[in-house]
Amino acid sequence: MLWTESIVAALKRHDVTLVAYLPDTIVYRVLALMERDPFFEMVPVAREEECVGILAGAYLGGRRGAMFCQNSGFGNSVNALASLAVPWQTPILMFIGQRGELGEFNVSQTGMGRATRPILDALGIPHVTLTRPEDVESLTSDGIKLAYMTRTSIGFILTRQLTGGKDE
Amino acid sequence: MSKLSRAQGSTLLYGKLQDEVVLGGIGGPTYDLYGAGDRNRNLYTWGSMGMISSMGLGLALARPDLRVIVLDGDGALLMNLGSLATIARKAPPNLVHIVWDDEAYETTGRQPTHTASGTDLAAIAAGAGIRQALTVTDTAGFSAALDRALQARGPWFIAAKVIQEKGTARPPRDPLFFKYRFIQAIGVR
Repeated sequence: MLWTESIVAALKRHDVTLVAYLPDTIVYRVLALMERDPFFEMVPVAREEECVGILAGAYLGGRRGAMFCQNSGFGNSVNALASLAVPWQTPILMFIGQRGELGEFNVSQTGMGRATRPILDALGIPHVTLTRPEDVESLTSDGIKLAYMTRTSIGFILTRQLTGGKDE
Repeated sequence: MSKLSRAQGSTLLYGKLQDEVVLGGIGGPTYDLYGAGDRNRNLYTWGSMGMISSMGLGLALARPDLRVIVLDGDGALLMNLGSLATIARKAPPNLVHIVWDDEAYETTGRQPTHTASGTDLAAIAAGAGIRQALTVTDTAGFSAALDRALQARGPWFIAAKVIQEKGTARPPRDPLFFKYRFIQAIGVR
């Protein structure tokens, strides 16, 4: 199975139906599948921080959702995570297109490339770095289970090694 | 025409509520929502400035069976104006977004916000694509707008111009207690 299909399968297995996102070259490969699939309701946002609020509100209403963005957009979302997701014990599933690491061509991406995991660690939010397509479905599924059963957010970091990254 | 205050407006809203859910934004909106009368279907917040409009959208999408009322502040909404465009794009018919616009950051010392110098939040909401966007400036106008927004198909955006007044009520700062009370009230497993 392609890594994109594996993420879709894991979301479906856990009844995650609402997708809040800002498109990015990497995550759009998954979003394109979900846009064509009536199982998912897509919520495009103007700024990634909105995703945290939207998913927190949906969770209060009993609906599960996931957030898709580039790591720059994860950076835009930090206060919402720290002040809403963490103290309210609200699971926010974050699929983060990782830029700024091995193979990066744009120096503007490297700051968040280095900062993404330390920020997640500082927030106490677990994260998984996905590099091998064959691991994606089980790691994603287990991560989603951890998030809902223990009421924590979680970051799934989608690396260039997994996704092929972005062309120069 | 009697000038509206946030506390009076919250009390007026409380008197009209049935099974609607109400989300209170950081600061004055939460304080006066609680002060008007605590309900299991109220949710209070103490942080995440700007996020309450997005939370309302998510809840409205999750629960089309409920009418979702968001109480926002002018300073908070100015931080998340993009959420108006996102709300317009999804256009949930069950969302009522009320902004108490006192033209100031009240809790930090009443420094003027951009609405004090002419920024028109209802015009921004209309420009974002929310068709039912209006400004009210007095008690009668707010009451009439609420009567429509609680019945007719939304999304609604109501900028309520209010006098500058400190909210005095304080709900206990316990997000988890209110979270579980709220989800129990609306019947989430």
